[in-house]
Amino acid sequence: MTRLRPISLRRFGLGLLLASLLSLLADPAAASNAAVGLAGASQDNLAVPRWLYLATGGATVGASALLASFVTDRRFIERVHLWQTGPDAGVSDGLLRALRVAGGVLGLALLALAVSLGYTGPQVPTVNFAVIVVFAGLRAGYTMLSYLVADTWRALNPWRTVVSAVPNGFVSYPERLGRWPAVAGILALVWVETATAVTTRPSVLATALVAYSVVTLVGAVALGADAWFDKVDPVSVFLHFYGRVAPVRLDDDGLSFRLPGMRLVTDDDLTDLGDVAVAVVLVWELTFSGFVTTEQGAAAIRWLAGVGLPPLFVYGLLYLGGFGVFLGLYVLAARVTARRIDTFETPLDLAVTFAPSLLAIAAGYHLAHYVGFFVSLSPMLVHALSSPLSSPANPVVLTLPAWFGGLNVAFVLLGHLLAVWVAHSQAYRTFPSRLQAVRSQFPFVAVMILYTILSLWLISLPTANPPFL
Amino acid sequence: MTTDTDATRDRHTCTACGEAYPTERLLVLHRGARHPDDLDAAEVEAYREAYHEEEAELKSFRVRALGVIVLLYFGFLMLFIVFAS
Repeated sequence: MTRLRPISLRRFGLGLLLASLLSLLADPAAASNAAVGLAGASQDNLAVPRWLYLATGGATVGASALLASFVTDRRFIERVHLWQTGPDAGVSDGLLRALRVAGGVLGLALLALAVSLGYTGPQVPTVNFAVIVVFAGLRAGYTMLSYLVADTWRALNPWRTVVSAVPNGFVSYPERLGRWPAVAGILALVWVETATAVTTRPSVLATALVAYSVVTLVGAVALGADAWFDKVDPVSVFLHFYGRVAPVRLDDDGLSFRLPGMRLVTDDDLTDLGDVAVAVVLVWELTFSGFVTTEQGAAAIRWLAGVGLPPLFVYGLLYLGGFGVFLGLYVLAARVTARRIDTFETPLDLAVTFAPSLLAIAAGYHLAHYVGFFVSLSPMLVHALSSPLSSPANPVVLTLPAWFGGLNVAFVLLGHLLAVWVAHSQAYRTFPSRLQAVRSQFPFVAVMILYTILSLWLISLPTANPPFL
Repeated sequence: MTTDTDATRDRHTCTACGEAYPTERLLVLHRGARHPDDLDAAEVEAYREAYHEEEAELKSFRVRALGVIVLLYFGFLMLFIVFAS
């Protein structure tokens, strides 16, 4: 008897959810592309008032959390996140090694080409190999591949290939730093992307790549490849964190396939606040670059600069302050949960437990911010990769149909819905009482609703070039 | 994971995995859900009772949650009728 009730309720809820998604898609909000530098502007008018569109998005996340709370069958929840095919023993060690070698060679070739063509190629961002491969490739397409299919960076990473070939690991990594150096590194890289000319002047990008290579090689040789690329290297940490969302994994155990996002529930490899900060920074950097490339964001920055503050200071304040607020809100949710529930779990334990769900949110945001950019530049990327040495006279850029805007809204919401389910599964793994599991999620869902509304607002705004940069 | 900051409170520790809970009922629920094969007859009975008790609480929660969802649904329906054009 009690089994039947949640199922019919679930079906009812699914209908509600689909109806609200459809209503959003039927009135697509204007989409903007948050990629800095190469972005094209687009704007449609909303047929629904903006506040209603935002409220609907927030309510969709809230309602889906309530619906998820109807699913109280532990065995069902476990079946969903443990379901997998493989690992198959069909992948031999030889094949694995061959793939690693191929990936290593490919990564090294791409890095060498990007640096040399960055200096010697045409100094036009839309035809230069370096700019196209780094931003349309690594930043957009390859990151998507990492969370939609599989994390392949370990094999491709050219710096790791070099460091693994020489003796390394002369100094032991101070474990108490956790992944905080990577947090600082990701913040620094996004800052470089936003505030310097790496997206517009290929030679500057090539210099940045050289500088990054020097720092990475010295650091990784000193601290050891494993410690450096697992804890410090911002690009590796960035891609590996996104890669946790991916359904496919090929490792020493073989090839395995899981439902998207469900590895987030079982991987259990986040341990301290630094790891939580990495997850938050992935969500935040997309929100930030989304904000400064909108007309409203640009206007806000101009206004602050008009008061007499130096523009770079305004950007820095917004950037680090916003990150602090995002992390603070999340930690606050953990504290509220720890206080509301009768448990010995500390706020830090809870923050770490629910942090993986942020990665699903980040993947949704990334897709929303970059898929249009990636698709429209994909002919250029294909051309650059297939014939790196000849630059096209007339680079082809695809024009996106208007319904792409609706797709972006759907991606933001889907990321959040996946996050709601991941949090639900985590709660059931953590709390012995099902009622506690349900109640533990409420503060986190509230934070997720805030993130959703902010993100939906950003993608509904018209784009602009960030001022003063 | 548990800490010693709550040392003043009662600790009900699981003999199978060492996890501690602030109340006996939570420990019973934990053992029933995580170590079903380690339970003796009395524990099975206690788990069954705690489980049913919780089921009643969940039922009342579900009714309230459904109320909120219905309110949200019709609230938004009204908002869309009035404001969307």
